[in-house]
Amino acid sequence: MGNPLLLVWWRLLAWDDDGRRTSRPPPPEVAVPHAEASAPVFLVLRRMRAPLIVLIVVFAVSVLGLTLVPGEDAAGRPWRMGFFDAFYFMSYTATTIGFGEIPYPFTPAQRMWAMASIYLSVIGWAYAIGSLLALLQDRAFRAALALQHVTRKVSRLGEPFLLVAGYGRAGELLGHALDRLGRRFVVLDHANERIDDLELDSFHADIPALAGDARDPGHLAVMGLGSPSCEAVVALTDDDEANLAVVMAAALLRPELPVIARATSAAMAERMRAFGSPTVVDPFDSYGDHLCLASRAPATYRLLTWLEGGPGAELPALGHPPREGRWVVCGYGRLGRSLAADLRAEGLAVTVVDPGPGRADEDADDDLVVGDGVDPDVLARAGVRTAVGFVAGTDNDTTNLSLVAAARRANPGLFVSARQNRPASAPLFAAMAVDTLLVPTEVVAREVYAQLATPLLWRFLREMPRQGDAWAAELVERLTALCGRHLEGLWTLPLTPRAAPALGSWLAGGDARLGDLLRNPDDRDRQLHALVLLVVRDGQATLTPGADFLLAPGDELLLTGWAAARRALTTTLTVDSVREYVVSGNRVPAGWLWRRLSRDTRAPEPAAGRRRG
Amino acid sequence: MNLEKVVFGFFVVLAATLNFGFFLGDIDDPTVHNRYELFAAVVVNLIATVLKFGDRTQLGAVHLATSLVADLQLIAAALLLGYAAYISTAGLTASTTASIVSLSGGALLANLVSVVLLVVETASFHRG
Repeated sequence: MGNPLLLVWWRLLAWDDDGRRTSRPPPPEVAVPHAEASAPVFLVLRRMRAPLIVLIVVFAVSVLGLTLVPGEDAAGRPWRMGFFDAFYFMSYTATTIGFGEIPYPFTPAQRMWAMASIYLSVIGWAYAIGSLLALLQDRAFRAALALQHVTRKVSRLGEPFLLVAGYGRAGELLGHALDRLGRRFVVLDHANERIDDLELDSFHADIPALAGDARDPGHLAVMGLGSPSCEAVVALTDDDEANLAVVMAAALLRPELPVIARATSAAMAERMRAFGSPTVVDPFDSYGDHLCLASRAPATYRLLTWLEGGPGAELPALGHPPREGRWVVCGYGRLGRSLAADLRAEGLAVTVVDPGPGRADEDADDDLVVGDGVDPDVLARAGVRTAVGFVAGTDNDTTNLSLVAAARRANPGLFVSARQNRPASAPLFAAMAVDTLLVPTEVVAREVYAQLATPLLWRFLREMPRQGDAWAAELVERLTALCGRHLEGLWTLPLTPRAAPALGSWLAGGDARLGDLLRNPDDRDRQLHALVLLVVRDGQATLTPGADFLLAPGDELLLTGWAAARRALTTTLTVDSVREYVVSGNRVPAGWLWRRLSRDTRAPEPAAGRRRG
Repeated sequence: MNLEKVVFGFFVVLAATLNFGFFLGDIDDPTVHNRYELFAAVVVNLIATVLKFGDRTQLGAVHLATSLVADLQLIAAALLLGYAAYISTAGLTASTTASIVSLSGGALLANLVSVVLLVVETASFHRG
């Protein structure tokens, strides 16, 4: 209890009327530690106590001595210095300015005392300044300063922002993708080096970042968990336990916030789902899903990876994983289990190779070969020669690379998939030219990006596999014809009076064709370089609607296309005369004067009437 | 026993007693108010203030506030004394002495509050 006065008061009140007043105070809201924010000031005050007292004592002793030591005035009569003169003398002496002996030349006794005072005061100042400088270098002080700095930055962040806990490789990729979209985010990571990297990295926006433990709700609160501008929480640390702690804190303190968390096991994903409804991203699980999708519908898979890649992503090559046959999976860890289950669910046979005999015992698995996959004999026993697909899925990059090499030598026609654990190994895997590569951090970053970029994109990606492979192949054709092999920006367009003020009457007319909207405002015979991927009306989604699709007020559109097309479309949406030209081909004057004149020539009656009224 | 508490209590009480000593006597009689005592009161008050730095409790904040008030009053008194002794042509008159002593009386009140806080803090401290 830091406050005995209040405690006494509280007790008095409680004795007065213990029925109501002893009731517990309401629980605090999200614990925003205001006290922590002012910590640096207190640290300075606390650490400077001793040096300041030394200074005061030195000054006091010197001044007192000067008033007591006998002196002489100009005429040689005995004289003692007053406090004012003594303090003046000490002030300029201690600060090494040194105006000399005033008001009268000193006697030897006074000089002796002055000499002692000089040395004393120099020591006092040196001690005080040294302590202050040492404090500035102090780690605890710097941490307190950084905390205060970040707290201030986050609380001043007026725009909506995302709270990203964990700035590993996945966090970095996600951060850059979000930054390109112009979204704001704040970062919390336990490693100081990662925060330093972030500060050296080039971002468009200023990213408040704090080195702190994501498991501590206080740190989450500092990073704006309690702020009304916080729009989502993303837990991307490499520690499942820490991610769970973030999910818990967000679900308990801000239940309405969307939460996206990374988990690397199904059990952990279940534990996370017990708190609210977080979106759990499991890189191994989604890789299995992706591989199955790739073998079932290669074009759909290609479109999916392209769109998840974000603006600027190059069109990935069309892979051809085998649809039938037997797969060999090396490494029966988290990835191996998930992958084997997914492949079996697709109706494919799977042979698992794992060096640990006890790891797969609970599975009634006939197709388990125990042994080190790098051994050619073990690979032969696993039947690599007759297999169609091969997965090198251990958590060691060197092992995976040598597995790929060994399997290729045994069977050159294999479809090879490998897992890359460390970013530094990327060039080696690229040189190896494996057919599909799993980089868990990238999978996580892409999925989280797809969910955060625009809600409609996520909707589109989930609806897309139902449309079939031929549809996806055709869409890829159309997109490349429109924008080339690099993905253009994606944006959402709600047809509301606020976002599209010029469309009101046209939409209400009931004959608003999508094809008309996408005409070029400069020349309506040309189409804009933009494509509508999705229209959502009352929760119903229509994928890639055609030019004859009838729009209605309140529709939400997901578009992709050139930035110039986006600008042109904005003009159509906001300027009445442009919309009129684009939709009907009539040139309508934009200025007030010309409109008034042209209205007079075309329809003089109402104009004249209005003028009279 | 805690040495820090002893030092703290010592300076808080000494500041009040020195202040009281200076204040005692006829309000307009310069001979009964020793300037060395005022000097000592200023110095001890400053030390007491620094000792109270960095305490983040509510009580600590009030402690600091009272000390700052006492400092302000005592330094004002010392400045007034310096003005009267060195600058003013009239010298240390009865009315100036009265002002100086009444300023130190204000500081005495603040110091007494400080002592009361110290007593309250000690009284509300319970072992275990």
